[in-house]
Amino acid sequence: MKIRLVGGLMLTAISIVLFESCVSDKDSSGLEYMPDMYRSPAIEPYVDYGEIRGRENADLKMQQSALTPPHGAIPYYGTNVEDVKLMMPWSILPSADFKLTHGLTGFDFAKNGLNTYEVDALAWNWNPLMMDIEVVKTGETMDRKNLTLDNAKKLYASNCMHCHGEKGDGNGPMMKSGAFNGVPNYADKSALSDGQIFYSIYYGKGAMGSHASQLNKKEIWSLVHYVRQFQNPDYDKVAKESAILKKGEEKAIVKVTAMVASVVAPTEDNK
Amino acid sequence: MHHLNCHNTVIESHISAKFATVKKYVFDKRLTVFYMKISSSQMFRNLSKWCLQAVTAALFLGTFSANAQEPSAETAIDGGKLFSTNCATCHNPFKDGTGPKLYGAQTTWNEKTGSGEAIIEWVNNWEGAAAKYPYGKEVSLKKASAMNKFPNLSKGEVVAILDWVDAQVEPVAAGAATAGTDGAAGTEEEEGFPWMWVILGTLFLVIIGAVSGVRRQLKVAAGESTGEKGLSYGEEFKKWSWKNLRYVLIGSVVIFIAIIVVFLQGLGRIGVVEGYQPSQPIDFPHTIHAGDQGIDCKYCHNSVTKSKSAGLPTVNVCMNCHKQIAGNDDAQKSKIAKIYAASGWDIEKGVYAGTTKPIVWNKVHVLPDHVYFNHSQHVVVGGIDCKQCHGDMTKQKETAKVQTIAELNMVEGNVQLTKPTLTMGWCIECHAEKEISTGSVDSKGGGYYEEIHRRLLTDRKLYKQYLEDGKVTVKELGGWECAKCHY
Repeated sequence: MKIRLVGGLMLTAISIVLFESCVSDKDSSGLEYMPDMYRSPAIEPYVDYGEIRGRENADLKMQQSALTPPHGAIPYYGTNVEDVKLMMPWSILPSADFKLTHGLTGFDFAKNGLNTYEVDALAWNWNPLMMDIEVVKTGETMDRKNLTLDNAKKLYASNCMHCHGEKGDGNGPMMKSGAFNGVPNYADKSALSDGQIFYSIYYGKGAMGSHASQLNKKEIWSLVHYVRQFQNPDYDKVAKESAILKKGEEKAIVKVTAMVASVVAPTEDNK
Repeated sequence: MHHLNCHNTVIESHISAKFATVKKYVFDKRLTVFYMKISSSQMFRNLSKWCLQAVTAALFLGTFSANAQEPSAETAIDGGKLFSTNCATCHNPFKDGTGPKLYGAQTTWNEKTGSGEAIIEWVNNWEGAAAKYPYGKEVSLKKASAMNKFPNLSKGEVVAILDWVDAQVEPVAAGAATAGTDGAAGTEEEEGFPWMWVILGTLFLVIIGAVSGVRRQLKVAAGESTGEKGLSYGEEFKKWSWKNLRYVLIGSVVIFIAIIVVFLQGLGRIGVVEGYQPSQPIDFPHTIHAGDQGIDCKYCHNSVTKSKSAGLPTVNVCMNCHKQIAGNDDAQKSKIAKIYAASGWDIEKGVYAGTTKPIVWNKVHVLPDHVYFNHSQHVVVGGIDCKQCHGDMTKQKETAKVQTIAELNMVEGNVQLTKPTLTMGWCIECHAEKEISTGSVDSKGGGYYEEIHRRLLTDRKLYKQYLEDGKVTVKELGGWECAKCHY
């Protein structure tokens, strides 16, 4: 009798524990109707390929949630020749030194005498990205939109604003909360060349890390245009005057360059 | 040629810009004087006017006198302002950043070199000071990055900066204790609930078992005394059910139907991941990052505008900020230490050690392979805000989860939906209600949706066909076609 009672109790306890472990697995997303149609055998991002279609692969299980692209892979930049020219790694591949940094630091390639597009850009004082100006004629009025700057505004809001502030004064929400400090005011940095601004975003500068993984070169150059507006409110004006609607046209997209209003040769001080 | 032209334009506009400011300044001064003249001549014409003008005059006089005092204000140098414009990018009073911390640097320099000039020489030209003073040499080896030279800062300015730094008070890390206890209370509450029921259930079973055991023993004892053989449990139950056959039948029908209903309901829950919140290697608080610090979702999930996947930030994105921010309390420090381990950052030396280790995140929003979903289509083309599907992450204290539809319906501006999040019903319900964006579609302008929208609004026939309700929904543009998502 006693044995029966104890046995029954043990059975209940075990079944409760089993039931618990089945139901409350936090990492399981629950039952699926057709698992073979749910899991892609082709590689999908952030999927654990340790188990696929019932087959286990212990080597892969919980090893990585994202995969690095194959060595030497170049992203697809579209079919626009100008864009592709702007984006491609210029003439040579990043040097072996790049391995040291993993693209993580503001590693100064210039010191190593390596000749790359990005390093060359440091000395440029012109922005290779032509701005897209859209002019639409509605009746007598002409609507003018700077598409490049409009797009850069969105990029700025999501990538720069939390530190550099909406007005570029280095007083973003992260400064206000006290989490970060020492972000400069763009207005104080008008002596920087376009190339130096590009370089700072691409490789990082001081406390700021490299943003090459988040922004492509076209986006960085468009941000260089955008940042110039904080230093010179009339920056867009130069482009404005060049946008002309041809006779009979209702809408035109014109490509124009915009120039920096105040240029000082880069000095030791602002490098 | 291109270069040359640009340069000319640049210089010209530079000059004109400078000239413009000068002109503006002159104009302002004149205006002030002019205004004052008028006010003095008309001063006594009538009282109310006089009062008004007196106030205005006082205002203008105030600005004028403030202007006049400017030069004298310059003699007292604002070290804090100089620090923030020149030094703060790399230096912090109390924390090592790109450059070493500056609190007490002045005293140390004066003691070690025995000269008050040494640190000023260092600021003006650090290479010269490093060659001149042995301590300068030592300091120059502290950090890998070279300091900028500031030859324009005078002795008084450098001293003002350093005095300002020494006058600062180190902020005490706050909220360390409270954050810890909060977390502990949360987990206790979460785990306490099911275990209470388990214990109560076991207790109940034990009591039932004990009572029936006692009853049976008594029966056996009674049977022994009368010489009858006791019935087994099964026989006893059979006897009892034959006796109450009607109730037993009704009871079994009820139980049978209940089982079927529960089973069917269970089928309906298969593949529904609402509220799914898998564990993560790092308890990432969205409240702090997206809420307090105001970082946009797209900064970390940056492929959302370019790809079908929103993307998880790679560790270098974390390090963009966390190179500087190591955490205020132990809980934060231990979490951030995991990022350092993953990126190979050596916090002591301030360099990347070179060994990296991937962080394995658990995927939260899992869609079956037979569905195609594209983030960039929804975010860039559709102009949908992240929170419309993912909820308000600025308030998500714990790790990310699939928000329930009740929570999503509370998000401001959301279409009210009924089906569970991430099910097909949820998708098409929204497609049926949601109006298409009329904004700019992409940077090239004049996209597909804009064109369709324009046609719909100008072509009366199409308009009638589509716009019975006066709006263009995603469904009306083919958002309900099977092959849009299943192919």
